[in-house]
Amino acid sequence: MTALRLDNVTHTFGERSALDRLTLTVRPGQVTALIGLNGAGKTTALRALSGRLHPTDGEATILGHDPADLPFDVAARFGHVVDTPLVYPDLTVTENLRCAARLHGRSRRAAIPAASAAVDRMGLEAWRHARARTLSMGNRQRLGIACATFHRPSAVILDEPTSALDPQGVVLVRELVRGLADDGAAVLVSSHHLDEVARIADEIVVLHAGRDVGRLEPGGTDLEQRFFAMVLDADTRAAADAHTTTPGGRA
Amino acid sequence: MTAVANLGAAFSVEALKLRRSVVARVATLLLVLLVPLGSVGVVALARSPRAVGATAAKLADYATGDLATTHLLACAQILSVAALVAGGFFLAWSFGRELESGTAGALFGLAVPRGTIALAKCLVALAWIAVCVVVAVAVTVTASAVVTAGSGASFVGAWAGARTALVAGLLGGGLALPFAWLATVTRSQLGTVGGLVGMVALTQIVVLLGGGSWFPYAAPSLWTGMGGAAAAAAVGLPHLLLAAAVAPVALAAVVQTWRRLTDV
Repeated sequence: MTALRLDNVTHTFGERSALDRLTLTVRPGQVTALIGLNGAGKTTALRALSGRLHPTDGEATILGHDPADLPFDVAARFGHVVDTPLVYPDLTVTENLRCAARLHGRSRRAAIPAASAAVDRMGLEAWRHARARTLSMGNRQRLGIACATFHRPSAVILDEPTSALDPQGVVLVRELVRGLADDGAAVLVSSHHLDEVARIADEIVVLHAGRDVGRLEPGGTDLEQRFFAMVLDADTRAAADAHTTTPGGRA
Repeated sequence: MTAVANLGAAFSVEALKLRRSVVARVATLLLVLLVPLGSVGVVALARSPRAVGATAAKLADYATGDLATTHLLACAQILSVAALVAGGFFLAWSFGRELESGTAGALFGLAVPRGTIALAKCLVALAWIAVCVVVAVAVTVTASAVVTAGSGASFVGAWAGARTALVAGLLGGGLALPFAWLATVTRSQLGTVGGLVGMVALTQIVVLLGGGSWFPYAAPSLWTGMGGAAAAAAVGLPHLLLAAAVAPVALAAVVQTWRRLTDV
């Protein structure tokens, strides 16, 4: 069964096309990385998949359901961080995690140990009682990921999960993502860090100008080179298509 | 998890956010301290020999009559507007900041649905305003008791005045709920505060034009006597019920808008 699915999704912001017939599936136990240049459509795809954006055309599903209206038992098995995490600057680290636990369906009693375990797991012990506004950007990112994954979800979406992290945090998130997938979760991450996605992803999807332009094998040392070659090829083909469809272009 | 349990979870989260909110803390202090101080102070000033000329004319309504009744009358008049403004500011913050900062997007895909979260936000705001109104009236009653005891005046009229102040404050608080909807559709805290200021100005215009009693935002203030005895007499139960009906209608609109929220 596919846990995360975008089916022929198209989205436009006014005249600008952000996604063009994008189809993407992530199966349980699989880590899929979405890579692309700035403005390629990665975050738009993740927003559509997390229910935050109703696509112009096509369908998104989480564990077989409309992400904008998940039933309780399905939502309780889903976690996501896209753009802004579920972190409030006025609350402490522990309070943020307890709030996240309550909103993910945990009882008041169950939220306390869940928050405490997440603090330990994400290396935030020293800031347990610190207001989120006082945290460094990296620790805020750790907290956001902790709020979205403390409940070991079956379907996970993480947008640029290591963008602000130090090397220790990167390793921590890498182990978390791999651990979730090893437990059977379907994980979709977007990233600019090609070396990082090469380490954690089972599949790498290249998105360019809102379109899926191909897959890259995670292994090897020349991932960056293969990525740029794929992007260049997509641009070349798009330019050729535009030329042939322009009146008089064939001449 | 039942709908009630979901609402309980969302309510506890929103109550915690309120306790940590600077907006709520400042507004609470203003409501429970400034309103009683203003109520007792304005009556003292009106009855002071120092009140002459324009000040005396402006405060003439407070210069005569039963002392305790006048304290609570002033409290009712101030609360009818203060509860609206405090509630409006808090709701602008509570709803607007989620959409401005992007945390509204993180409220998707949760076990507790967005509509329930929006409902909890409104209920927390209403509960907070109600508590502030009750405390503000209680502090005014206490201050009035101290003042009347010192002057040997009667305190009997305070209780009827307290009831009026409670109703006016609660109605004012309920009238703040449409600003939760405004914050949601404008996605802007400042835009919502602008709407609140505009509504206060519009209310003044409507009252000036003589249409206040059927205008929900004017009816509670007019009922407390802010527009004079004749205007107060023109406000009856149907007018107050219309003002009270704004809150449930706004609540339903806010919940529905959050259920259908997209592009965040």
